[in-house]
Amino acid sequence: MEQDINLNEIDFIIKDIGAGADSVIPILQAIQSRYKYLPEKALQRVCEISDITPASITGVSTFYTQFRHKPVGAHGINICIGTACHVKGAERVYDSFMRNLNIQENNDTDPLKQFTLHKVSCLGCCTLAPVVQIDGITYGHVQPETVPQIIHDFQKYAQKTAHKPQKAEQPLSNVNGEIRIGLGSCCVASGSGKVREELIKTLIDNHIQIPVKRVGCVGMCHQTPLLEITLPGKEPVFYSNVQAEEINDIVRRHFRPKGFFAVTHNINHFIHNVLTDSSGGEMKRYPLDTRDKPVTSFLGSQVHIATELSGVIDPIDLEEYRERGGFTALKKCLTELSPEQIITSVKESGLRGRGGAGFPAWKKWDIVRNNNNGDKIIICNGDEGDPGAFMDRMLLESYPFRIIEGLVIAAFAIGAKTGYFYIRAEYPLAVKRVNEALDICRQSGLLGDNILNSGFSFDVKVKEGAGAFVCGEETALIASIEGKRGMPKIRPPFPAEKGLWGKPTLVNNTETFSLIPWIFRNGPDKFAGLGTEKSKGTKVFALAGKIARGGLIEVPMGITIRQIVEDIGGGIAGGRRFKAVQIGGPSGGCVPAELADTGIDFEALNDVGAMMGSGGLLVMDENDCMVDIARYFLSFTQDQSCGKCTFCRIGTRRMLDILDRLCEGNGVQKDIDDLEYLAIKTKQGSLCGLGKTAPNPVLTTLRYFRHEYEEHINGICRAKKCKALIKYSITDECIGCTICAQNCPVHAIDFKPYEQHKINPDICIKCDTCRQVCPVNAVEVI
Amino acid sequence: MPEIQINNIKVQAEPDKTILQIARELDIFIPTMCYLEGLEPFTSCMICVVEEKNSGRLLPSCSALVQDNMIIETDNDRVREARKDALELLLSEHIGDCQAPCQKGCPAHMNIPLMIRQIEEGDLLSAIQTVKRDIALPAVLGRICSAPCEKVCNRAKIDDAVSICLLKRYSADADLEQAKQFIPERAKSSGKKVAIVGSGPAGLSAAYYLLQYGHKCDIYDKNSKAGGMLRYGVDPAELPHCVLDAEINIIKSLGAIFKLQITIGRNIFVSELKKKYEAIVLTTGVIDDKLAALYGIEFTQKGFVVDPKTMTTSQTGIFSGGSAIRESKMAVRSAAHGKMIAISVNQFLNGEQLNGENSRFNSSIGKMEQKDLDQLLTQASDRKRILPQNSSGDYRAKEAVNEASRCLHCDCRKPDTCKLRLYADEYGADQKRYANINRKSVEIIDQHSSVIYETGKCIKCGLCVQITERAKEKLGLTFIGRGFNVQIKVPFDKTLSKGLKQVADLCVQACPTGALSFKSEKEL
Repeated sequence: MEQDINLNEIDFIIKDIGAGADSVIPILQAIQSRYKYLPEKALQRVCEISDITPASITGVSTFYTQFRHKPVGAHGINICIGTACHVKGAERVYDSFMRNLNIQENNDTDPLKQFTLHKVSCLGCCTLAPVVQIDGITYGHVQPETVPQIIHDFQKYAQKTAHKPQKAEQPLSNVNGEIRIGLGSCCVASGSGKVREELIKTLIDNHIQIPVKRVGCVGMCHQTPLLEITLPGKEPVFYSNVQAEEINDIVRRHFRPKGFFAVTHNINHFIHNVLTDSSGGEMKRYPLDTRDKPVTSFLGSQVHIATELSGVIDPIDLEEYRERGGFTALKKCLTELSPEQIITSVKESGLRGRGGAGFPAWKKWDIVRNNNNGDKIIICNGDEGDPGAFMDRMLLESYPFRIIEGLVIAAFAIGAKTGYFYIRAEYPLAVKRVNEALDICRQSGLLGDNILNSGFSFDVKVKEGAGAFVCGEETALIASIEGKRGMPKIRPPFPAEKGLWGKPTLVNNTETFSLIPWIFRNGPDKFAGLGTEKSKGTKVFALAGKIARGGLIEVPMGITIRQIVEDIGGGIAGGRRFKAVQIGGPSGGCVPAELADTGIDFEALNDVGAMMGSGGLLVMDENDCMVDIARYFLSFTQDQSCGKCTFCRIGTRRMLDILDRLCEGNGVQKDIDDLEYLAIKTKQGSLCGLGKTAPNPVLTTLRYFRHEYEEHINGICRAKKCKALIKYSITDECIGCTICAQNCPVHAIDFKPYEQHKINPDICIKCDTCRQVCPVNAVEVI
Repeated sequence: MPEIQINNIKVQAEPDKTILQIARELDIFIPTMCYLEGLEPFTSCMICVVEEKNSGRLLPSCSALVQDNMIIETDNDRVREARKDALELLLSEHIGDCQAPCQKGCPAHMNIPLMIRQIEEGDLLSAIQTVKRDIALPAVLGRICSAPCEKVCNRAKIDDAVSICLLKRYSADADLEQAKQFIPERAKSSGKKVAIVGSGPAGLSAAYYLLQYGHKCDIYDKNSKAGGMLRYGVDPAELPHCVLDAEINIIKSLGAIFKLQITIGRNIFVSELKKKYEAIVLTTGVIDDKLAALYGIEFTQKGFVVDPKTMTTSQTGIFSGGSAIRESKMAVRSAAHGKMIAISVNQFLNGEQLNGENSRFNSSIGKMEQKDLDQLLTQASDRKRILPQNSSGDYRAKEAVNEASRCLHCDCRKPDTCKLRLYADEYGADQKRYANINRKSVEIIDQHSSVIYETGKCIKCGLCVQITERAKEKLGLTFIGRGFNVQIKVPFDKTLSKGLKQVADLCVQACPTGALSFKSEKEL
């Protein structure tokens, strides 16, 4: 049933956004944010009173994942199926939600229209995997068996907070020192918003006056939420994994309890337990000193350029950014250097584009600079779509000024008057921060006419993507800004020659721009002094998977994979064996542990079949099946293919068919041969980078783990991951406690107190619940 | 101006031109499907790839711009393989039969669905022309054919097969009742002569087609009347001699000369035949050792040994078919042999390569599921099978039209213009190269007065989308979704007639496959 819509609202939206054909995506976004879906009547109205045609609105609204055409349930459940969540069992969690909410296959909403399930690519809290978000509340370490409790808990919570008025005000700041709290998306996801609320409330209640400052990402996502208390004359103290109910204790530790009443806030106690508690036992939380060994090594081998001042500065405090050297690079470029000199410096720095392929940044700049076919345009590509990466998001959220500074320098160098930030709509916080930062820059003369009295004028607009991995490809990104389906075009002509609206356009990745100010403040040779012969500077990675300490890291080029895994990541969690890293996400490849001494370098990674890619770095252990990983990435790229060229559209699908057969135990030798053949042909025949790199996960796993493919043909999955190839059974260790029988969602285990239990293989759905709940580890997978 | 080399030809090319444009200027043929001159290249099908030798890259020539020093090869092994790969991928999701099962099941491969549509439209002259393109004796076969076509008819999976055989008989009888029957055109005389030994269904059929090719035919038979087993082996109650005579007369009026009551080896020697005729066709019916030995050609217990494609025997210039190569009671099989022999003899007499009948690529949906049948049924009447009510077993016009309306039209409406089929033939593509277990169902969109849209045949080239956009159709067509599941539909789920108000014809003509086609052949 379509809900009633008020056509005046639609008219207003169009008046507000504009009636041009290129307004289609923002208009759709506005309609969807109003109705939670796109009612057909609304779309028809748009066609009546704007230049947007029915063909265009239909084509565009069905292309991007963000848009939906059916009404949603009262609450939205986002199930993260990003890479890190996948290896930790997200599919089982999804199945469990489907089962528990009684949602039919091919549907996404339960019969009572209470909940709508969405699979989302990455919520950016890889260290809490598997992660589920219900109406903005994040649950971490979710297991299939905890799903009913989560739903129950959420319903209770939703009732309680239905009319909750309070909004704490910021305490006055007359004390030196400050409390810093991480408010990047990952911190927020693990509850830092609530921690901040609680903190402010506690401080006000206790008349303690100290500024509470939000800071960007600290990078230590495995320890979030993070809180840092700095007081004059004292070493700063870090608290990790902070929960709202601990705020009392923490505050008490640092401030005299004058007029302090120990008020216990017991709301949602259960949620927080589920939130961070992976084992079911009490979670230890401790003050964390940066000089402690694990943290020192986590931060120790990192070099912060893009993430300079991480965890220190307020993302949108311009004064603070300036105090710490911000915009001096821009000033230098505008007043002391000519555009040619700027490009020469970038050349000297050896900076290569951080979007994945590593094209020399200066070359692109130079081509655009020397092209005189119309006004030039510059675009910051923040359409990070890799399901296991969130560097761009973190940079945009935490250092918007730095990126703007880099962007303006580049604009000056190439002579652009207009710029765009193209940011995924899934990153609302990044969009908000960038918009705020742009406003501040305009007010401070850093954007707009006559920037810093240099005579140079430039301004930037923010365009939100709408959910399409392929829009990270520059020609697809441009199509998207123009209000079209995000379908790539053949190059040449390159955007540098003929880009947005046919004008010369420079497209660089967010991370690339974020490195520019540092280069000009510290000199290109200092940047070139870092890294390897051909890959200079640093690279930001989202480190996740089966690792002790995950998070966002920035490392000098040339560091080896092993150093990242062992020193920074603290090795494999749980004492299992390090098997491989997947580097570069869906376009990258799997590098086996034997090649872990490979350095981080564009060419070295290409040589082993992987790719720098966008910067996802997923660590895998012996419990990860390499065929399953290949299938996971293929199912992603297959879904994200724009559907234009034959090789990508059908080739990736046929590869996925074969991988499905292998994982289901129906594969034959010919399948492996066909898979390899198709992978090679798809790589060679596809039109754009998506299709050309989509086979990489398959080709590298075939190259290094072919034996696992062959084992699958013989019905063996050594990692015990592929459901069709494994069986659950209960050993004679069973004490007959009946917990497994009580928890089995499909009643495959008969309830027999004090007897050895048995699993009926015909009914068992291999959801792993029994193994998780068994107190004596009597459930085995064979 | 960039200088490029294309198939070893050096040319100066304007910088904004594509490789395809340059190739076409040089009369170098590159296959295309999603490209149409005058429209923006969409670069989707990838059939137009060529190799650039310096970089080793395969480039879609329709949109790749020429660049200085390019060395292009348009037709080497790598290019051909890539084209074949693209075709095999496209075919792996192609939900359509080039030929309907009935046509494939008919030994003579008669275009049955076309005949049925013509009967339904009341165009009986076209119907008999369709029939006689492949079957020389339809009135005869209409009475005695075992109708293998009906055994594979998809309609039989719903209720009963369409009465193909009776409909064929109806169209043939209707023709015989005319004052002037349909006589096909004859090519200019070649001056060549063919001896046909045996005037049964195979011999008569061979003569019917050989005469059309312009060759002279003498038909020898030991009996006093022509017809072979049709006259002497079939109950006249089933096949009245007047019907047989009528169809033999048509062959006579094409110029056949019957030499009756002549036995080879007795009244005339084989050596004389060989001298007198440029080719000999042995359609003698079942042979024995003695007869076989007479011709001095290879034979086995079953009969003469022939190449099954060309029907040639071990001796150059001698062809055979029908029961002479293996005994069969299926007259239609013999008739089919007659047609095949005529094709081969014609190739032989023209000094061409002996290939026999041109066998084309045939896409196949495979097993039909209920969902598919339900879709097909939307194009047909749901009435039960209609059998002739009068005792003679002849349809009255209305009955025939009603029975014809039961046909599901499982065939493709563009079997001869579909580029996918054309290039599948040319590049030897194998539709089954990539197993496709979860194939999509047949979907037929039949809401337009003259156009039918079969979504499973669409290759998503977007030509129709561009055409409707340029014509400013109010609704037009658009892409829906993305990735493998992308589809082309009318926006807002509106009907095809609302989507295609102005440029339906252009879209059908541009569509490289049978996805968009005219309902009736007349509009082609």
